[in-house]
Amino acid sequence: MSSREEVLNKLAEAVINGDTELAKSMAEEALKIGIEPWIAITQGLAAGMKVVGDKYEAKEYFLPEVLMSADAMYAGLDVLLPHLKAGEAGVRGKIVLGVVEGDIHDIGKNIVKAMLTAAGFEVIDAGRDVPVQKFVELVEKEGAHVLGMSTMMTPTLLSMKRVEEILRQRGLKERVKTIIGGGTVTDEYRERIGSDAYGKDAVEAVDKVKMLIQSILAAAELVKKE
Amino acid sequence: MALEREVKLREDETIVVFQPYGRRDIFKKGVNLLEAAKRLGVDISSICGGRGLCGKCKVKVIKGYEHLNPLQESEKKFLTGEEMKEGYRLACLAQSYAPFEAIIFVPERSRVGKQRLQTEGIEVPVKRLNPAIRKYFVKMKPPTLEDATYDDERVLRALAEQHGIVNVDFDWYTLRTLPKILRDANWEVTVVLWKNKIIAVEPGDTTSRCFGFACDIGSTKLAGFLMDLNTGKVVSVAARMNPQIPYGEDILTRLTYVLFNEWKGLEDLQKAVVGGINEMIDECCQKANVKPEEIYETVFVGNTAMMMYFLKIWPEYVAKAPYQPPRLSGVDLPAREIGVKSHPNANLYYLDTIGGWVGADNVANMVVTKLFESNELGMCIDVGTNTEIGIGCREMGGVLYSSCASGPAFEGMMIKYGMRAADGAIEKITIDPETLEPIYRVIGDVKPVGICGSGIVDIMAEMFKSGIIDWRGRFNTKLSEKTKRIRKGPDGIWEYVIAWKEETATKEHDIVFTHNDVREIQKAKAAIHTAASVLCKLHNVTEMDIKVLYVAGAFGNYLDPENTRTIGMYPEVPIERIKFIGNSAGTGARMALISIDEREYITRAIKEGKIKHYEISSYPKFYDEYLASTYIPHKDLNRYPITIELIKRLGTHPEIEEELRKQQTIK
Repeated sequence: MSSREEVLNKLAEAVINGDTELAKSMAEEALKIGIEPWIAITQGLAAGMKVVGDKYEAKEYFLPEVLMSADAMYAGLDVLLPHLKAGEAGVRGKIVLGVVEGDIHDIGKNIVKAMLTAAGFEVIDAGRDVPVQKFVELVEKEGAHVLGMSTMMTPTLLSMKRVEEILRQRGLKERVKTIIGGGTVTDEYRERIGSDAYGKDAVEAVDKVKMLIQSILAAAELVKKE
Repeated sequence: MALEREVKLREDETIVVFQPYGRRDIFKKGVNLLEAAKRLGVDISSICGGRGLCGKCKVKVIKGYEHLNPLQESEKKFLTGEEMKEGYRLACLAQSYAPFEAIIFVPERSRVGKQRLQTEGIEVPVKRLNPAIRKYFVKMKPPTLEDATYDDERVLRALAEQHGIVNVDFDWYTLRTLPKILRDANWEVTVVLWKNKIIAVEPGDTTSRCFGFACDIGSTKLAGFLMDLNTGKVVSVAARMNPQIPYGEDILTRLTYVLFNEWKGLEDLQKAVVGGINEMIDECCQKANVKPEEIYETVFVGNTAMMMYFLKIWPEYVAKAPYQPPRLSGVDLPAREIGVKSHPNANLYYLDTIGGWVGADNVANMVVTKLFESNELGMCIDVGTNTEIGIGCREMGGVLYSSCASGPAFEGMMIKYGMRAADGAIEKITIDPETLEPIYRVIGDVKPVGICGSGIVDIMAEMFKSGIIDWRGRFNTKLSEKTKRIRKGPDGIWEYVIAWKEETATKEHDIVFTHNDVREIQKAKAAIHTAASVLCKLHNVTEMDIKVLYVAGAFGNYLDPENTRTIGMYPEVPIERIKFIGNSAGTGARMALISIDEREYITRAIKEGKIKHYEISSYPKFYDEYLASTYIPHKDLNRYPITIELIKRLGTHPEIEEELRKQQTIK
């Protein structure tokens, strides 16, 4: 029988090394020795993903490694999530994420998704080549706090502008914040179309999402007080 | 100085001085420093065209820093803390409001230097010299009351009698001046035919003077050739950077400019490129003592976007799925409609398009290589910001073409010390695998300023071969114990020092290749390799089936073929099968200019579906292939047996040898 600490370390290690098998078996082991699923996720898998993010930022890890780590994390989550009791997850916010219409480059989006999941957010993946209308529908249906959009290409930047316009027209900007990113997106462009945040890479995107959600919560507090 | 003191500035004016050039002028307050430099003919390097994206236009403000607009957020990405303290700015984002003057120093590495623009391609003789333009000298008797045929009839009769030319006719443009020219020239004139249309009638015998202009419009570079249509020979050449670059360094950014500015935006792009082309025509004409009016036909090639920006065609929809270009066949129109300097009634021909972004430049490559009717399977790769790849042979029914966004990294953009192939660029590097010391060669035999595309490929391959980076592109940080050249840079990113600052032209910074640079090149080369692999898979062939690999494009000729293969930019084929064909788009344009047979031949081939386009992103396993291609040379080592042999010999990559054992046990 392995110790609690050992299992948590191994979970993190499995994610760091992109070892899907180890992530699965360690997640099962965690349940067997009675580690709370929520602890296994945050102190095991997510802790590993945090290391992966740091390594990616230092250029030590590249796209294939990060995606392998993400796979390992998801494999662990598949085992642990069904055992999570309602309310225990303490989800910090709901995010709709997708690559905009006309673009299929989704490696970056998948990395952001993994990092956000590791950071404890609930991510609704809209996929790639997502029509403008579908983003808006998903945001409404899911009651998302944040909408994240990305693109690698330039002509498709215009889709982001259109989504912003529709959100504004429908008065949805009050309750959903937007963040954009991707190869051709700049902070200047964000300002131009009136998005709420820009993430230059996956690591920054997660920080910005945290900030956006905090601002939403703070605003809600304010309303409550009044 | 006395003179400057006398200058009376208006409230809204300011002076900008550029050192070490000493160029100065009065500008409106708020003038952008890069714009000011351009107007004064001070060359400051800028790849992104002044949008604050490339960080190449660093200048040091010697006087007036406090009167500039505040440092922009995006500048901070490119300037080190030290540079900010010393008063550095990006010229493209800095504006001067100095009450009197601002003095700006342009450091060595921000100077452009002489560009090396490749204009030569392999010479391919056409079967027969058969230009669309022909000239005939005719003598006629003046009309009399007894012989009073119309002027045009008289010319046509003379053409038939004296040269056996029938079935030709005048156009309206030529008719306007015909009566006067015939009489002023005393009925001795030269008739200029474009195919079977008379496009000009000139006084006297001008048959020895007959010229055409062929041009390759690249997204980054323009190459122009003035040709003697009587001999089929090139008489002079010129090259320019594409003046559209200020509107965006890649075709998509330029497209966005059009979409945001509508027809006005398209007009701006069109005027910019035509301006550059006309400058080249002037230069070519001066060199060869030819008048632009002696150019009767101009032939152009370029990718689909270039075609639309040049011919004023609304370009929006080629950028969106299903990526349809507006027309496939070549286009003939009067050159004056486009504004190209030539005879006022000259013809302009733009070659056919293949599909998607794959345009006339690759049609020109096919004119040269004739791959679609080759007996051996071949691949043609045209490396650029957008890379196009064709594969095929006669047996396969022709050639299948695709394009991929390889990005501007090989042009020096996104690379910390990247620059274009100009004086001061490191173009060749080897690293001693024992000592890890580099030896490099610099263009123009001067001290180095940065590193250009061919050098970038070399440094990647050499760092890999010597074990400085592993097959995932990760630095072997243990080697930092062995050499000072491998170190953690100021921002915590590992780097390799190519040149110590004392060796450089500026003596200010070590020239390094960073971990970030390695990652950029991995992405770029993976895009190219992915397209090549997918095309092979669609044709059900393997790399080893490729009997000839043509590498065309701007910097192809300077690439080291083995190093390019080692980093896995293209499939592993034996070196002797790799043929560098230089600017073969330009060659194809020249062939089309001097032979209408070539034009008709290629148009027919495209109509018959012998050269087709395939949209690569529709391939289901695109991403798996892309991720596997980011490895050096590739994740699937079986596809690089020659490189693996080399690696085993060098013994620098235990991780690859271990992976090989793994891949073998799985088998």
